[in-house]
Amino acid sequence: MRRYGFSTGALAHGDFRRALALLKHVHVDAVELSALRPAELLPLVRFVKKADLSGFLFISVHAPAGFSASDEAEVIRHLQGFSERGWPIVVHPDAIHRFTLWAALADNLLVENMDKRKPVGRTARELTQIFCDLPEAGMCFDIAHARQFDTSMTEAYKILRDHGDRIRQVHISEVNTSSKHDRMSPTAVRAYQDVSGLIPPDAPIILETPAEGDQIEEQLDLAAAAFNASRVRRRKMGRVS
Amino acid sequence: MREETPVLRLSSKLGTDWPAIRAAAEATVARREALNQVLTKHTSEDTSIAVVGSFGRAEVTAGSDFDWVLLVDGIANPEHLDACSAIADHLKSEGIKGPGAEAIFGELVFSHDLIHYIGGDEDTNANLTRRMLLLLESAPLGREDAYARTTNNILSRYILEDFGWMHARNPMNVPRFLQNDIARYWRTMAVDFAYKRRRRAGRGWALRTSKLRLPRKLTYAAGLLMCYSCALDPEISTIVPSEAGRGAAAKIVAHLATYVRKTPLEIFAELFLTEDSLTPTARKLFATYDEFLALLNDDAKRERLETLPHDEVAEDPVYQAVRDLGHQFQEALDEVFLDPTTPKLYQLTKTYGVF
Repeated sequence: MRRYGFSTGALAHGDFRRALALLKHVHVDAVELSALRPAELLPLVRFVKKADLSGFLFISVHAPAGFSASDEAEVIRHLQGFSERGWPIVVHPDAIHRFTLWAALADNLLVENMDKRKPVGRTARELTQIFCDLPEAGMCFDIAHARQFDTSMTEAYKILRDHGDRIRQVHISEVNTSSKHDRMSPTAVRAYQDVSGLIPPDAPIILETPAEGDQIEEQLDLAAAAFNASRVRRRKMGRVS
Repeated sequence: MREETPVLRLSSKLGTDWPAIRAAAEATVARREALNQVLTKHTSEDTSIAVVGSFGRAEVTAGSDFDWVLLVDGIANPEHLDACSAIADHLKSEGIKGPGAEAIFGELVFSHDLIHYIGGDEDTNANLTRRMLLLLESAPLGREDAYARTTNNILSRYILEDFGWMHARNPMNVPRFLQNDIARYWRTMAVDFAYKRRRRAGRGWALRTSKLRLPRKLTYAAGLLMCYSCALDPEISTIVPSEAGRGAAAKIVAHLATYVRKTPLEIFAELFLTEDSLTPTARKLFATYDEFLALLNDDAKRERLETLPHDEVAEDPVYQAVRDLGHQFQEALDEVFLDPTTPKLYQLTKTYGVF
């Protein structure tokens, strides 16, 4: 049974507590704790010391998407704390200054494929170069990035063909023309169905769709539909304040 | 280090040299690299410069036109026209010979037209020409994102809307919708040849007929091989679309997309590298084409073909030479596609090539 969950950043920017509270009311067993903005990393370190994450069977952490070369070692030191808990670390390849430092995270590092604005990590070929520098790393396959880069899903197919065995997590959403994550549309779901059968069945699906209220369940249903699956909805327990 | 092209590998295998083909390929690489340096800044994640014609086929000779479009695949932006004008201005300032009289190139071209208008009234002669040349003899300059997205989406349409292919009712997995459109384009070129002869009162007729007999026919034949490769490639030929569904389509589109990046001569060289029985044909086809490019690269002969009056054709040695090359080239193509002793290609041509 495939696992589904949300990125905390999609539900509540920087407010981990609120994001997790929202997830208590839906049937998910995976979560990505997002420190996409560098300023969110230290608060996340502090938050996880007290947070009750026992309801999740899969937890990952999204590393900051931009930091200076001088801060890189410090960022990795904090991420290693998460990695020691067994949580995979998702990183944008264009954020990396020195690959040798990130190699310390070994197979607990997941390199994410990028959207079309980025200079690296967008195609199967560009990812091959990155995995030459990080041979042990796994991959977080962002299916929306792949679709934005090539709406025919041919590049998505090539990424899955060449790097499918590295995939340990999937990001799903719709990426709009401004390269922002958006809620999924039926056409996006249909496009994802073209290649979702090639994604390892044990890779959890993390939604990056900005959603609130009933949209959370709707987006989870669409994510399941993208994988030609259906999911059990949890009975509503009341509104989240 | 630059990867050795299939044409060079074939010439090594056969222990021969085709100097005009080699020189044209080298000239193309040099010209493309120089233009890339200055024109990349006019492209973006939403736009690519696509070069077609001799620049796309890697057959640049002294008199080659530079046929290009600024291909847009992204949100509407009035500045796209500025980029297009800047490219045209640069080419003019460098004295680079621009696109031909039909004004099919040298303009903004939008992916939506190429992808959505396949067949029907909206699929104009210009749209068909641009789409086919993009698939059969093009190369990107500058950022390639829009080029790759557009060509992949065009190929996806040909596969996903090929009912016979998607439902495994196509005995040899050849994408018939695509192959039919390539055949339509070839016939359109042949008909347009007569149209242009009338329209231009015979001006440039001899050069156009030379091009029709050799490079345009080469492009069409390479398009056939592109389609036939789906039956000849061991991995692709075993796809069962009815079992693998849309994932199978993605696989075959990725396969066809590799052909979009090859020149027509490279496609033939790859065939000849694997089909030893066609070695004499390989020698004939490439030697003939080499002679043709050498002739085109000769300013006086090219000029003669451009200006030759129709009533002097029968006695003109340049025209007669190119006509003979056309016949030799046709013989080589007949040996590839229509010889029963080359059973696979013969059978494919019999099954798909005519009706």
